[in-house]
Amino acid sequence: MIGMRLPAKTAIYLLVGVSVLLVAFPLLWMVAAALKTQSQIINPNASLLPLPPRWGNIATAWDVAPFGTFFLNTAIFSVVTTVGQIATGMLAGYAFAMFDFPAKRVLFYLVMSGLMIPFTVVIVPVVQLLADFGWVDTWQGLLVPNIASALGCFLFRQYFLSAPLELGEAARIDGASEWRIFWSVYRPLAQPMTAAFTVIAFLQNWNNFLFPLVVTSSEHLMMISQGLTIFQGQITGTAYNLLMAGSLIAVVPVLIVAMIAQRKVVEGLTIGALR
Amino acid sequence: MPPSRRARHWSTAYTFVLPVLALTVLFSIMPLVLVIQRSLYRGNVFGTNLSFAGLGNYVDVFRTGGGHALVVTAVYTAGFVVVCMLLGFGIALLLDVRLPGLRQVRAFFVIPLVVPSVATAFIWFTFFQPGTGLFNRALNSAGLPQVSLSNPTDAVIAVIAFGAWQYFGEVVLIYLAALKSLPRDVLEAASVDGAGAWQRLRHIRFPLLRDQTALIMVIATLYGLQTFTQIYILTDGGPQGATQTALYYVYQQGFGLGAGGSTGLADAMSVILFLISLAVAIIQITLVSRAARTGAA
Repeated sequence: MIGMRLPAKTAIYLLVGVSVLLVAFPLLWMVAAALKTQSQIINPNASLLPLPPRWGNIATAWDVAPFGTFFLNTAIFSVVTTVGQIATGMLAGYAFAMFDFPAKRVLFYLVMSGLMIPFTVVIVPVVQLLADFGWVDTWQGLLVPNIASALGCFLFRQYFLSAPLELGEAARIDGASEWRIFWSVYRPLAQPMTAAFTVIAFLQNWNNFLFPLVVTSSEHLMMISQGLTIFQGQITGTAYNLLMAGSLIAVVPVLIVAMIAQRKVVEGLTIGALR
Repeated sequence: MPPSRRARHWSTAYTFVLPVLALTVLFSIMPLVLVIQRSLYRGNVFGTNLSFAGLGNYVDVFRTGGGHALVVTAVYTAGFVVVCMLLGFGIALLLDVRLPGLRQVRAFFVIPLVVPSVATAFIWFTFFQPGTGLFNRALNSAGLPQVSLSNPTDAVIAVIAFGAWQYFGEVVLIYLAALKSLPRDVLEAASVDGAGAWQRLRHIRFPLLRDQTALIMVIATLYGLQTFTQIYILTDGGPQGATQTALYYVYQQGFGLGAGGSTGLADAMSVILFLISLAVAIIQITLVSRAARTGAA
């Protein structure tokens, strides 16, 4: 916009400021409430600012529930499922893009039908299936159903469809095995897609709430989202400073990672939604 | 020899495809078949003592508040989509203006999407605390009546507001990508010809974005139909079922009521929810292929 007038510029910056505040106000409220005393919370006329800040609230909250275990479990779950989704999605996407084989179309549509079946629709039989395996409330039950991603398969197929075939042909003439061609030639080529998909898959797995909620009940298997609900049950009273301190504990690590990797997060969320 | 898709290595191809295929069949397709089949049988939550019931479960869904749950789903999803679209489009237009600093702000809008929704749900839960929550403090100082999650209307507005706050950043991102793909020369030509900002928006940008707008609406609708955490934390489907969506009905019948629930009812509602999602997804596919044909995507 060349030659925009000053009032117009000011108005735009002002509106952007308001939009930013719209995103930020719950988080600011959380931080303020997390650092208040009980009486500051209960008094409706007390200042909105937590003065002096009670940093001890965060330590108190940390001691109420095993947040260390929750974080460790969330990390294990997110890393294993994300790596699994990338591996299985990339392999299948590669095969669907690069090979011709009998029943290819049928198999592809079968996998893609996974995109059309929301997990929420099949939640009851999936849990019963896991019960039949004896996998309810176990790590297998948490991980195995989540290591395949139809979306990943689709995105990687799209990516490999536009990859040059000549590279593989040259490697084949040199006597490279099919696995070698995949691993050394095409996998590195897909690096940008891998990075973007890793970000969306990891965030989604980290924040997965419904699946662990219906599959696990033991505290030693719980992840941060479900752990927070346990934490809520263990603190009582109408003063929610500890509840906000617990939420703060859950929010801050993700916030830091997302801000560091912001470019990839934006990219991943854009392609993930448009699929 | 010209390069060609390999026909020789069937075994490699099948091995590569197998993991995703097997897991999709086992954890999506087979369970869907099971849901449809079992929605026709009556039994307890443990799935024993089954007896064929025909469409009995579907009739019972509507006798046990399922019809109301579908209305709640429609109201919630419509409200959610409208708020997300308006906020998302408006803010994307703002951020698309070429002024210093605006590109950097973009990343800010992903925060509600990426932080755990249970945590942000607790924040929104405290907003409505009687007397001491942020909203009630603000209403109080303005001399207005209080809002409460135990009031049905307030509760519905609360879950829509929180759901939209959590998701609208996604709409901002997609619209920004769409706006960036618009032909700059057309907009600049219009600008040179004396078209004002509003005219350029109304007559050039809006028509060019029609396909993307429809697509974003569909994506947001599918997302809205999946809403769970927001309702679980804020209202637990209450008060008196005011925020019980179709999915929440499934959850309560399948898991939330213990032995008082009914898998038959959960299955029947799951099938209804699936048919709704499927209809929306088919619209999505039609839109995507139309956009691909016209080269707008």
